[in-house]
Amino acid sequence: MILPPIITVSQLYKRYPSSATDALKGIDLEVGHGEIFGLLGPNAAGKTTFFSILCGLVKPTSGTVYIDGKSIENDMEAIKKKMGVVPQDIALYPTLSGRDNLLFFGRMYGLKPSELKPRVDALLDLFGFDENRNQAVNKYSGGMKRRINLLGGMLHEPNILLLDEPTVGVDVQSRRAMMEHLKDWNENKESTIIYTSHHMEQAQQFCHKVAIVDEGIIVAKGKPNELIKEHDCNSLEEVFIKLTGKKLRD
Amino acid sequence: MQRIVATLIKEVQLLLKDRTGFVILFVMPVLLVLIMTLIQNQAYKSLNEAGVPVLFINFDNDSLGTAIERGFEQNPICKLQVYHPDSTANFEERVAFAKKEVLQGTYLVALIVPPGASQMLREDVERMMDGFMNGDSLVVEEKPLEQIHIEIITDPVARKSFVMAITSGLRELVASVKTRVLFQIMTQKMSSLIGADTSLELPESDFFVFNESAAVSDSQPGLIPNATQHNVPAWAIFSIFFMVLPLASSMINERITGMHARMMTFPGSYLSIISGKIIAYIIIANIQFLLVISMGKFVLPLLGMPMLHLGDQWLALVALTFSVSLAAVSYGLMVGSIFNTQQQSAVFGGISILILSALGGIWVPLNIMPATMQQIANISPLNWALKGYYEIFIRGGGWLQIKWEVMKLVLFFAGNLLFAAYFQKLKRN
Repeated sequence: MILPPIITVSQLYKRYPSSATDALKGIDLEVGHGEIFGLLGPNAAGKTTFFSILCGLVKPTSGTVYIDGKSIENDMEAIKKKMGVVPQDIALYPTLSGRDNLLFFGRMYGLKPSELKPRVDALLDLFGFDENRNQAVNKYSGGMKRRINLLGGMLHEPNILLLDEPTVGVDVQSRRAMMEHLKDWNENKESTIIYTSHHMEQAQQFCHKVAIVDEGIIVAKGKPNELIKEHDCNSLEEVFIKLTGKKLRD
Repeated sequence: MQRIVATLIKEVQLLLKDRTGFVILFVMPVLLVLIMTLIQNQAYKSLNEAGVPVLFINFDNDSLGTAIERGFEQNPICKLQVYHPDSTANFEERVAFAKKEVLQGTYLVALIVPPGASQMLREDVERMMDGFMNGDSLVVEEKPLEQIHIEIITDPVARKSFVMAITSGLRELVASVKTRVLFQIMTQKMSSLIGADTSLELPESDFFVFNESAAVSDSQPGLIPNATQHNVPAWAIFSIFFMVLPLASSMINERITGMHARMMTFPGSYLSIISGKIIAYIIIANIQFLLVISMGKFVLPLLGMPMLHLGDQWLALVALTFSVSLAAVSYGLMVGSIFNTQQQSAVFGGISILILSALGGIWVPLNIMPATMQQIANISPLNWALKGYYEIFIRGGGWLQIKWEVMKLVLFFAGNLLFAAYFQKLKRN
């Protein structure tokens, strides 16, 4: 049975009150169930705005977004319950331990106390935390903080996981481990992942499909290998440079 | 409900890890109450109890000097030191000595009655009576009345009210002696005129009796405002409002770390997130209040200070304290919503609470402020709270007496929440 897309975006526009131009200029996009979808683009391309609209932080100026058949305009509360968000910033309470942060996230997502603690401990075990799980987050290394940041979005086992550059500033070992966990999780839970990154190589390996965004519009979308072939390049990074240019962006 | 409990648990955990916030919320109020009550206790003592040192040099050693001496010995605000110089003592030297003693601060006031003052008074009165009975007019009398010069030396830093109290007391005593001498001589003259052999003395007790009492509650007879009754509620209010610092800082910190945005992606309304915060800080405010009240009830008496009397209107006390907590928490939320950095919120929050507390009569009791300042004080929510506690603790008032104060505090809470919501929305957009 072919399932309808879990995310459908049509003619999405966003203009901030303080800006004279649109941050998003008519985005059209579909993401299938269980896909890992990469949203790629240079700085100020509109990725964060798109990401913020999907997770309900920013309202679109016009256009429609349906997630799992529900409109973000009318059913955001129902969507939020099925969605996990991992922001680019390490959004944790630095003086609380990693475990206490996760327990807080779990309670906020309505997990029952009887299932919350075993689940938190199991995830902490899986992501390599031992006794240090009870240390304050501000004592953790960058990689440990990133892992807790990621777990905060996965804890309630959402159908859709939004990851905004989840591996920024992380060493290769941690990055590989995190991406492997995410891949396993996607396969086992059949969860959809929307992923933004500047790591083209990582996106090429990790994503089933990607969309390259520049100046508020999608300039290319499809499977990474098909895009590489279509644009006669050797890697996704080459495709990216070919489509977005070499000019520095701020 | 679970989200509210989650936020509540998280706020308590954060506070337990935040040593500075913990000190501001719990250690500072205890120290403030202790220090300010100790300092102001002396001022209240000097107002309410014996202790103003007065030097009395009695050269007269006769009825006038004795009457003044006895009068001031019975005066509750005086701690009288009396000298009876012998006949060889020099008056000017003694005046100079008294000035020196006052200047050195040994005495606040010195009174010196000259030698032969009573005799001079008697002679003056007798001459007046003789003139009257002989039909002479006083104004045409060749020899004028001898004036009795009583020296009053005061410390320049002494409160005018103390000096006024002492000089008024002195005038009253002198007037009483003058009346007595006048009556005595008059009856003597009348007796000799009518050939009677009787003399009449004025009774020792006065014709008038002044019943003085403070207008306090029937349930707490004898309870008057003192350092404890003022300082304990005053600094409890101040400390509760000072939570603006950790509360605003916590809100701004959540925005800076991205936690605020992350929480906005959680299911449920923002109201439930903010409700957990409000409840957590209301609990903290009530713990602060209990802590400070316990200081007044149990610790201050151990240090020789008056014990705090809470009155017996418990429901009114709970309602008032709850409304004070609401007002303080909402102010913190508003400050936390307006400002972008912890430094900005700390400076504005701290200074605004200092100003509102000074205006509201926390530092200096309202009744000694100028009338204009007492009017201005009405704008301060800390003043509404203090008035409410005065009503319950000192006047024995209940809900009916504090209801307007409670309503004003609740309106302040609602207004601040609206402002906070407006600024949050502004920032989100």
